Amino acid sequence: MNPINPAPAFRELRDKAGAKLRRLKDGKTVIMVGAATCGRAAGALDVLRAFRDEVKKHNLDCPVIEVGCLGHCYAEPLVIIGKPGWPPVAYGYVNPVIAERLVNEFILGDNPCPEFVLAALAPNDLLPSFQDFPRARYERKIILQNCGLIDPSDINDSIANGGYSALAKALALPPQKIIAEIQKSGLRGRGGAGFPAGQKWQACRDAQGTPKYLICNADEGDPGAFVDRALLESDPHGIIEGMLIAGYAAGADRGYIYVRAEYPLAVERLQIALRQAEDYHLIGSHILGTDYSLEITLFQGSGAFVCGEETALIASLAGQPGLPRYRPPYPAVKGLFGQPTVVNNVKTLAYVPRIMANGADWFRGIGAADSPGTAVFALAGKIVNTGMVEVPMGTTLRRIIYDVGSGIPKGKKFKAVQIGGPSGGCLPESALDLPVDFDSLQNAGAIMGSGGMVVCDEDDCMVEMARYFLEFTRRESCGKCTFCRLGTRQMLEILTDFTLGQGKLADLAILEKLAGEVGAGSLCALGRTAPNPILTTLRYFRNEYEEHITLGRCPALMCRHLIAYYILPDKCERSCDACVGACTVEAISPDKKRIKVIDPEKCVKCGTCLPACPPQYNAIVKLSPPSEVPCK
Amino acid sequence: MPGPDILAATEQILSAFTPERPNLIPILQAVQGKLGYLPRSAMQAIAGYLRIAPVDVYGVVTFYNQFRLNPPGKHSVKVCLGTACHMKGGYIALDAWQRRLGISPRQTTPDREFDLDTVACVGCCTMAPVTVVDGKPEARVDPTRVDGILLSFGREPPAKDQK
Amino acid sequence: MKTVTLTIDGKVIKARAGEKLLWAALENGIYIPNLCAIREREEPDASCRLCWVEVEGQSDPVPACAIGVQEGMAVSTKGEKALALARAAFELLMASHALDCAHCQANGRCELQKIAKVLKCSLKPKRLRLLLRDLPVDDSSPLFSYDPNKCVLCGRCVWECRKHREKAIMGFAHRGFERRLTTFADEPIGADRCLDCSECVKVCPTGALTLK
Repeated sequence: MNPINPAPAFRELRDKAGAKLRRLKDGKTVIMVGAATCGRAAGALDVLRAFRDEVKKHNLDCPVIEVGCLGHCYAEPLVIIGKPGWPPVAYGYVNPVIAERLVNEFILGDNPCPEFVLAALAPNDLLPSFQDFPRARYERKIILQNCGLIDPSDINDSIANGGYSALAKALALPPQKIIAEIQKSGLRGRGGAGFPAGQKWQACRDAQGTPKYLICNADEGDPGAFVDRALLESDPHGIIEGMLIAGYAAGADRGYIYVRAEYPLAVERLQIALRQAEDYHLIGSHILGTDYSLEITLFQGSGAFVCGEETALIASLAGQPGLPRYRPPYPAVKGLFGQPTVVNNVKTLAYVPRIMANGADWFRGIGAADSPGTAVFALAGKIVNTGMVEVPMGTTLRRIIYDVGSGIPKGKKFKAVQIGGPSGGCLPESALDLPVDFDSLQNAGAIMGSGGMVVCDEDDCMVEMARYFLEFTRRESCGKCTFCRLGTRQMLEILTDFTLGQGKLADLAILEKLAGEVGAGSLCALGRTAPNPILTTLRYFRNEYEEHITLGRCPALMCRHLIAYYILPDKCERSCDACVGACTVEAISPDKKRIKVIDPEKCVKCGTCLPACPPQYNAIVKLSPPSEVPCK
Repeated sequence: MPGPDILAATEQILSAFTPERPNLIPILQAVQGKLGYLPRSAMQAIAGYLRIAPVDVYGVVTFYNQFRLNPPGKHSVKVCLGTACHMKGGYIALDAWQRRLGISPRQTTPDREFDLDTVACVGCCTMAPVTVVDGKPEARVDPTRVDGILLSFGREPPAKDQK
Repeated sequence: MKTVTLTIDGKVIKARAGEKLLWAALENGIYIPNLCAIREREEPDASCRLCWVEVEGQSDPVPACAIGVQEGMAVSTKGEKALALARAAFELLMASHALDCAHCQANGRCELQKIAKVLKCSLKPKRLRLLLRDLPVDDSSPLFSYDPNKCVLCGRCVWECRKHREKAIMGFAHRGFERRLTTFADEPIGADRCLDCSECVKVCPTGALTLK
């Protein structure tokens, strides 16, 4: 146990932070603009500027704060206005014009502009609130609690919202007690495999050798996953606090955050957060006046998906190419520079302060027996409410997709849900009632992975989906071991032939066998899981493969070599030229009767003409195989 | 940039690091940050400083996507090929970029104005398909939007047939 | 020195405690196909994926180069599962190997030929398609030539070259299917840096590096 009680030092920090924040916010109107990367892509920085300009113009004493992601990414840019006398209100799809109106009508006047309101943050009599949304019933925010609601570049905001209080509590305990608590909580690693976090810490603590290292794995490379990015951008102090507790428990002397260089905003916010935490003596030597010291270094990954694998990540930190090595020995025993090393995923670390603050029993009370806690998913693809959701483990896929995500847009039919990225699989309609937890997903052929959940509708081709993922793993294979280096390429060749309509039925058997061999024979998890997208699509959507091979037809009308665009002559309106103007390669021209015709030689099948054709005519269709197009 | 300047810039960066192998990647990032790419002479200087074989520096440089061996163009266009982007037509956007710029991924236009590249996933899946232009993620990029972005850089799309 | 007793394919052998299974087998005249294994290496590379064996009590085959011997261990090199994986790996290698035994200097002493015989596989891949890289042969060194199309990326030559520390010229570069044995900036071996020790040629298991 630490001979020095961390509580007084923490109390002092908390009082100071509270006072600073009160000076900034109390009795004032506050504008919070969601400016995580996805908000920025939707124009959040223009909105931010518009608010600042307007506030300045009217000389208002009203802070405009950049916050992170609230999870309602479909409605970006998203803004929250807190005005004394009103519940805090969130506005969606905000643009600079709306920003100006909100300042003039709501902040200066008393009109909350209900037409732009997404929801109020608390139940009230005037405006609908998030609690009225169906998803509110199924969501349970633990690690996303602060996201989008606090200023990620102000440590005071974090501390005033409970940040670092769990650290103060933990540092008063002996490390062994923390490990025991985490083990009791049943916390499993959120990076993919679901290994018990406490067990890893214990192994590192027990291992011989100093120094010991703690690494936060923020190399989120799964295409389709963005939870780690959103967490780092929205609540970086939550992750740092988790690292400090984990490091203390595991006996680490030095910490690293390995973050992708493709996440520049996350890097920037982490840098700010680390500097502030250092200023507050929360990292470095003698944390909160105790004997515990931990330096934390930020390391930027250079773009290699394989570095999400822990031994490859460690090689990369040591200045080597990111090549995985044979395990055992596991990093907890022999890791960075040959020393005992704990590697934990961002999300795993984010749970740690919550568990320390609320206790293991509280955590165990949420979720499923063998997978306690919550699951955080990045919902993307063909789903109405794209964004980040946190639900208790054990929630069914159907609930997540239809109740939390509000189902499939444009009245389309659900086809599959892809979970776990290139290591995961595509699950069909029949799997929708599966409870989401580590083990059920694995049994169905998918994995929890890093929480990417991409929904596919009837327009998505499952063969193309498998080809896409194999192209990804082929590109990202490090090339060290035979199976992954050469096997992924062989499988990609076969799949590419299928999407070109050049496959043979015999290839299907070769592909299936090869997939099994690459899965069994590869050196690391990247290669071992690379066949999953193939195996699940073969298991659940074999008929689509067969149609590609035997009929040269893509049933989803997605594979470009197997489709053609065609303008139905009897539906095409002579006076309308919408498609002609829309076509970016000038492949469409009117014939003598002013009926539009597509030149198949010029058409690049980009599909821009399809939405351009006015709905009252609806004259453009996709046909597969291309030979379906009638000859003149 | 002529040779002596490359070496001077590299040496200035090297002086901020201790000569230890784990610093290799941060050094490469810093040199590329300064010069825009990793010239041969810079890689040799780095190897000399860290007392490692130049081929080892080359091995690291060619392993990671971030590093480039040729000077970059003025503007960078990176098309996201994440799952969500792919499903919503990221490959169509990439095609459109290739068509308009006349180059393939990892190439630079002959006038050195544009670089075209792909990126595995920038985590903006809800804004799919995304293209990152000069570091700024652009949402919902279809072929028409490609022309719009290029227009904002003063590049007219090929003239339409005169009717 | 502490020794342990184990059986491989029914034959009782003794091995130094802590020894890897592969070396224990080879020392006792039991051949297990392998390409990337290097005795001096502290940590096995385990990358060629050929040395699969089955250990009693374990459901899946394991690479013999990475597993330590244990007292009482019962090992089979002829198990169906192990052979299937070894054959699959070998076929993948051969599908990307420029096969030309008749004109190859290594003909007769080539380890690929030996492995094909032991695994009872054809040198020519049957079900997989040929995926050759078609890289130029480097004839620039006065002593030896390097044909990257015959290289299996075992890394034995890199290990030898590495003994020259920062004067080493050979290493792996690029990634994935493009990964290859090469030099700084892919320049010709004979350019100037090579110390001409030709140790790399001696350890090459195929015809990729051959004396002139």
